[in-house]
Amino acid sequence: MSTQNIDPAASGARNKDMSDKGNKPKDTHSVSKRLQQELMSLMMSGETGVSAFPDGDNLFKWVGTLQGAEGTVYEGLKYKLTLDFPSSYPYTAPVVKFDTPIFHPNVDTNGNICLDILKEEWSALYTVKTILISIRSLLGEPNNNSPLNTHAAELWENQVAYKKLLLEKYKKDVTDKESS
Amino acid sequence: MASRVTSDSPNSDASGSASQDHEKEDSKNFECNICLDTARDAVVSMCGHLFCWPCLHQWLETRPTRQVCPVCKAGISKDKVIPLYGRGSTDQQDPREKLPPRPPGQRAEPENTGPFPGFGFGDGGFQMSFGIGAFPFTFFASTFNFGNDGRPAPPQAGSPQHADEQFLSQVFLFMAVFFIIWLMLA
Ligand SMILES: [Zn+2]
Ligand SMILES: [Zn+2]
Repeated sequence: MSTQNIDPAASGARNKDMSDKGNKPKDTHSVSKRLQQELMSLMMSGETGVSAFPDGDNLFKWVGTLQGAEGTVYEGLKYKLTLDFPSSYPYTAPVVKFDTPIFHPNVDTNGNICLDILKEEWSALYTVKTILISIRSLLGEPNNNSPLNTHAAELWENQVAYKKLLLEKYKKDVTDKESS
Repeated sequence: MASRVTSDSPNSDASGSASQDHEKEDSKNFECNICLDTARDAVVSMCGHLFCWPCLHQWLETRPTRQVCPVCKAGISKDKVIPLYGRGSTDQQDPREKLPPRPPGQRAEPENTGPFPGFGFGDGGFQMSFGIGAFPFTFFASTFNFGNDGRPAPPQAGSPQHADEQFLSQVFLFMAVFFIIWLMLA
């Protein structure tokens, strides 16, 4: 009953405010709290090969960095990723993309990643840290049965040729662009 | 001492954090697996994983077709979680009044191991007659309570009032015994 008495202009403004955030303010607060917890534990843990930090003031958008694991063709290469957290996080997965172009069977040319834990196997338990560790291990152990980049998947068998092409592409897409 | 040992062993299994102090590790054992904070209105799943009830409820609501534990992916359901009531939670608001309500705890009756459960003059028999004999026992208490606890002193033996009271108490004692026998036979 009381809702009928609300000034339409005021309720319209409130609806707009809610749609901006995508969810109720209370939920946004608990999402920020969880992301702050993650940031704390990520900084404390000092996990090798992966790091992440919020992009500026926006706690819902992070920039992650990962280094190719030793003993894989990606050794010595460094990649940047973006993590976008929905207001329903951690009940739904963040959108994780490669910002640095990468030649990999399970990453497409736009940086989209095909990884089960970011889709149907997502669990509220996973964190930025576990996501980055999973992606880092995906680099060395691609799933060539469902590739997004068929060329990379076909070439994977020949590790020498794969590494040669990978380094060429990395130089062209990353190193040359950074220096120019 | 024994409990100290058992609570230590999972800590030493925790990966890479053996050097951290135990106090921190101990509190981590009671963190919700979803919000990563100390669990509020805690519930535990059948697979043994701890969550805040609001957090777990939201997880189950988010994916109604795939009700799995976020930690081990075992099948779980809302009515198969157990609420945990800690010591500090007594003065807080009843969590069941909050939305969504936390499922209530289930109390199983303890198994009676006596030879004649609920009957006879063993432990069970005593318990039963005490429970249902509330009326006669309260009566006995007031009749035979001759202590100096503020009640009027009993009348002198031999006085007519004493004889009356003795008669009355015998009548009531007989009624009480009769009542107990009647209850046992019924
Ligand atoms: Zn929680
Ligand atoms: Zn579980």
